[in-house]
Amino acid sequence: MKKNQTLTQMSVPVRASLIIMGLGQLCYKQWIKGLLYLSVFAGTLLYMITTGIKDIAGFFTLGTEETDPWLGTTGDDSVIMLLRGLLAFIVIAVFLVIHASNVRDILECDKKVRTGKALPGFARAVSIFFDRKFYIAALAIPVAGVLVFNVLPILFMILIAFTNYGGDIVPPKLVDWIGFDNFRKILSLAEIKDTFFRILGWNLIWAFTSTFLNYFGGLGLALLLNKKCVKGKSFWRAFPILAYAVPGFITLLAFKFLFSYGGPINYYITSNGGNAIGFLDIDAGVKAKLIGLVVNAWISIPTSMLLATGILSNMNTDLYEAASIDGATKWKQFTKITLPFVVFSTTPVLITNFIGNFNNFGIFYFLRGGLYMDGYFLASDTDLLINWLYNLSIDNNYYGIGAAVSLIIFILTSFFSLLVYVRSSAYKKEDTFR
Amino acid sequence: MKHRNKNRIVDTIVTHIVLIVVCIFFFFPVLWLIMASFSKSGSIYDLEGFFPKSFSFTGYQKLFQDTTMYDYPNWLKNTLFVAVFSSLIGTILIILTAYTISRFQFKSKKVLMKSTLVLSMFPSFMGMTAIYLLMVNFNLINQLWSLIFIYAAGAPMGYLVQKGYFDTISNSIYEAARIDGATNFKIFWKITLPLSKPIIVYTALTQFAWPWSDFILPNLLLKNKDLWTVAVGLMHLDETQFTRFAAGSIFIAVPIVALYFALSKFLVAGVSAGAVKE
Repeated sequence: MKKNQTLTQMSVPVRASLIIMGLGQLCYKQWIKGLLYLSVFAGTLLYMITTGIKDIAGFFTLGTEETDPWLGTTGDDSVIMLLRGLLAFIVIAVFLVIHASNVRDILECDKKVRTGKALPGFARAVSIFFDRKFYIAALAIPVAGVLVFNVLPILFMILIAFTNYGGDIVPPKLVDWIGFDNFRKILSLAEIKDTFFRILGWNLIWAFTSTFLNYFGGLGLALLLNKKCVKGKSFWRAFPILAYAVPGFITLLAFKFLFSYGGPINYYITSNGGNAIGFLDIDAGVKAKLIGLVVNAWISIPTSMLLATGILSNMNTDLYEAASIDGATKWKQFTKITLPFVVFSTTPVLITNFIGNFNNFGIFYFLRGGLYMDGYFLASDTDLLINWLYNLSIDNNYYGIGAAVSLIIFILTSFFSLLVYVRSSAYKKEDTFR
Repeated sequence: MKHRNKNRIVDTIVTHIVLIVVCIFFFFPVLWLIMASFSKSGSIYDLEGFFPKSFSFTGYQKLFQDTTMYDYPNWLKNTLFVAVFSSLIGTILIILTAYTISRFQFKSKKVLMKSTLVLSMFPSFMGMTAIYLLMVNFNLINQLWSLIFIYAAGAPMGYLVQKGYFDTISNSIYEAARIDGATNFKIFWKITLPLSKPIIVYTALTQFAWPWSDFILPNLLLKNKDLWTVAVGLMHLDETQFTRFAAGSIFIAVPIVALYFALSKFLVAGVSAGAVKE
């Protein structure tokens, strides 16, 4: 049988199902399945007629009537309209997916009927589906969760980036689509532009340095603990694990106290006749940046140590024996065997770490938090883009510009990591290390 | 030979010196916090140096008795509630996702993997600002359950570590079971789950630790003082409440540290337990 039948070659039930979901299944006496499809069809139709079409129209206008407290009229709420429009598009997309499955199902039924096979009953069909398409059944809930709590908010923010939402323009005022104006502002409006590029430069330096430091710090520590001469490995390992286990915000707040004016370090400085140093003050400059790097290393090195330890214990030690018989030096063994193996197995983690550091919100939020410096638009010299984003959107309600900044962050991080990820062998040869 | 021996001794000494330095680096801040939590006065200014001169339990007593301003027991209750449920739901979702993606070949797999990667590259705040706006608009702010849903639903995004673990389980064991007529669900239940105890423990632990120590979401979504989690509460303590901060921190750090140590063999060694030797 040819796979692509023309419309006239199709049997009646198939054609019926193409137009009204589930009708064909009913023709073949697949009652439950047919009714399920039919009710989805009817539900979607009802939704579209009652609110869906209106919502989609509202998505494009974002409201036409403003609330007027003097006249006592309630107008349109642009944000809600945007959201409802988005929801309508999602309903349509889900409907199309279900419709595709409906078409696939009816074609299969059709084929079975033509070849004279019996159609399975509903319970049996479900269990066959559950076994053969286990991955769909297993992934349905996780994917749905991610869609609702990750994809939907992200889509919403992408849309917000193209509106003038924020500042003075929040409901009940009407929000409008403004195209790329927010991006234009970031890249050309003097004050914002300077802030953006300054923060971007520091953000890149920060992400590369701290990823490098943490990754090789952890690997080095793991190799050190793996040495034959180290006795009582679990004792030594306990200290980094302790650091790993202490919740991050406690560490960060503790370090903040440690470097504060009343903190012990300044106490020793002042009691020895020095002047108290504002390590994390607004004019701290490089000091604050270095403290940030060290604190981040304190928090992250143990994690990468654990990872490296796990990977090293997975390693085939025969390679080393062979290598030492061949007379390879320790250094050579490290660069030719250990490093490639570890880097190979950890490339995805390396990317995650890089992105994590690029978007490391906590460090400077806790250490310095909410400082606005001269020459910066609502930011300070240690702030990363993510901190700026927070200052813009949560603290100062610049939602539109904030969303545009997040899109820029996204473009930057995805550019870097896709470059690494696609080239990495862990992705290309997914099954090599089985 | 003698030269070699000498080299080895030098190597051992250097190694241990480095180790000691590293351990001091990691241990000192923790030690400082522990000592400070037993300090007699409450403010950091009275500490005079790293360690308090006299010790007492007042910090801990105040934590649980003087609750009018800072209701620590309540914070603890909220944190525990959120962390336990997010860990439970999140772990199930991650294990299911990671196993399925590791074990099955299907058309949309690469698309799925790529899109999770792309999604994870959006700054976390982007989604959070949206969630914040949405929750405000729908009046879902100040709900502990909304936190749980957000944590658990986001969890499968970090499936890569677990997938890596499942990748190490050899395919031949599945094929054998398949030939014996086991359904895919049965294979997951009877073969995969027992084999993956270490990774389940690891996942549950990390999924617990995340809400346990997260401050961004609760700070954003819990405006009501009664609903504060420990992280949010401790953030509101200033230098004059330093002992209370230290005591409160130690108190919530101890259980999680104990958990990590009790399960550290899962954390470190457990990542390689293939059932079939190839």
